[in-house]
Amino acid sequence: MTQQTPASHPGVFDVELVLRQARAYLAFGEQVRLFTDRLGETAQADWGQALQQHFTQLKTAIAQSAENPAINPELARLWLLMADTWSETATALGMDTETIPDTLRQTEAWRAYQHTQSDYFSQLQDTATEALDLMEQRLNELVAAGKTVSSLRELYNLWVDCNEQTYGRMLRSTAYSELNGRLFNALLRCYSRPEAQS
Amino acid sequence: MISLTADQIAAEIEAFSHRLQQGARTLASVGEIETGVSPRELIYQEDKLTLYRYQPQVEKLHSIPLLIVYALVNRPYMMDLQEDRSMIRGLLDAGLDVYLIDWGYPDAGDRTLTLVDYVQRYIGHCVDVVRDRHGVDALNLLGVCQGGALSLCYTALYPERIRNLITMVTPVDFHTPDNVLTHLLRHVNVDLLVDTLGNVPGALLNFAFLSLSPFRLAGQKYVDLVDIFDDAQALKNFLRMEKWIFDSPDQAGEAFRQFAKDFFQQNKLVKGEVMIGDRRVNLHEVVMPVLNVYAAQDHLVPPAASRALAKCCGSRDYSELSFRGGHIGIYVSSRAQREVPPAIAAWLLAR
Repeated sequence: MTQQTPASHPGVFDVELVLRQARAYLAFGEQVRLFTDRLGETAQADWGQALQQHFTQLKTAIAQSAENPAINPELARLWLLMADTWSETATALGMDTETIPDTLRQTEAWRAYQHTQSDYFSQLQDTATEALDLMEQRLNELVAAGKTVSSLRELYNLWVDCNEQTYGRMLRSTAYSELNGRLFNALLRCYSRPEAQS
Repeated sequence: MISLTADQIAAEIEAFSHRLQQGARTLASVGEIETGVSPRELIYQEDKLTLYRYQPQVEKLHSIPLLIVYALVNRPYMMDLQEDRSMIRGLLDAGLDVYLIDWGYPDAGDRTLTLVDYVQRYIGHCVDVVRDRHGVDALNLLGVCQGGALSLCYTALYPERIRNLITMVTPVDFHTPDNVLTHLLRHVNVDLLVDTLGNVPGALLNFAFLSLSPFRLAGQKYVDLVDIFDDAQALKNFLRMEKWIFDSPDQAGEAFRQFAKDFFQQNKLVKGEVMIGDRRVNLHEVVMPVLNVYAAQDHLVPPAASRALAKCCGSRDYSELSFRGGHIGIYVSSRAQREVPPAIAAWLLAR
């Protein structure tokens, strides 16, 4: 049985919440800087093609960091925001993958949870990839409309919009509702007594 | 067109980093953020529950007291967040005598509390205390969000004790197509959840709310915060709201079990199938005047979920007030302060 959890009694604001997202934003900025650097070397006539080519490189950099966060942990954090949020929640419930006992690690319930969590993260990653595709499409539409993006923050906000749009679509799908239920249930089964698992 | 050079981006990054460094120091020194500003006195306590009466602001008070029943999730100081963002202040200024139930923070000892405890015992005792203090048979009840659903249950069971009922951003039909909380909970094994954890931790509820819009609520919001680091007032407003968002009491296990299964998963309230102990909640028994206040852009309790009350309550004096805003804005936005408390007070004073 859980006691009143510490997270339920917030005291002083956790500055780390801001610092983590700020570092992720700066990592995003660094990738965009590389992207615009290459784009700046492109002749104006080839701009559309260059956008596609360099944006593909930007997507690859972000995707690689997601698959292996060690490559660029801050950039990965931007991409894996929702996965991080879930991991922190699981940790708050005592499911810290670093500290769980070996006896639990060897159970079928733990393996099932790992499998479901992997499905969940994979779903998030697919959605984030869709968001980058959408962002590329939006940028092309801006170009076609003769509009300009003139700051890093505008690009970041566009990235957020695109992620919210693709994520929101996923969130409202029947498949996600089922996956969300499976994720919770799998986590709980790692802790539950046999009679509670019906 | 992206009219950005690498140098421009480098300059923007540098400026952001500079503001961040300065702001992080400011944030670390802000300390505890105060919430709840209107003077109040403790009237009654039972277990974790506290009943408060707010200090009246006018000489000639409305003769029928108003009891506010807040949700079990999150804390009720959202109704009285700060001087210029206080729904309670607005109600007091309009001449109402305002009471509020603060549910407190359930702990392991509260695991077995059920909806019978919350509806019949806790709300029931508070209603009786207030009725006795004022010598009235019936009082005015204002239920907020989940507290509105609990208020509907109480009112349906004891209609003679409620003179007028106000529901605010209250879910009634939990199965409207746009109800994303129901969507998320639909396949969760609630019995497994409660049997395993006992009380349901606030951290889980926080996750559910953040997961509705993570890139804004857990990402962009904090990047944007850097823009207001040098505005002390804006920063404190932000921190006050942030404190409220993460101030999520754990939920008493058995009460959560029934609410999640009967209300969210099986939509029994609108079907007239909710049982509080051995008594059925029939919303047709809600026959007194009803004001249903909802937020037109509410993403947590969609308007259709609230407006379903029109068809299933028994009142012949049913009105709706649509607020142009969201689930949070209806408490704290400037427009809410101007529009909502005066409208509630005017509606009550006319009855």
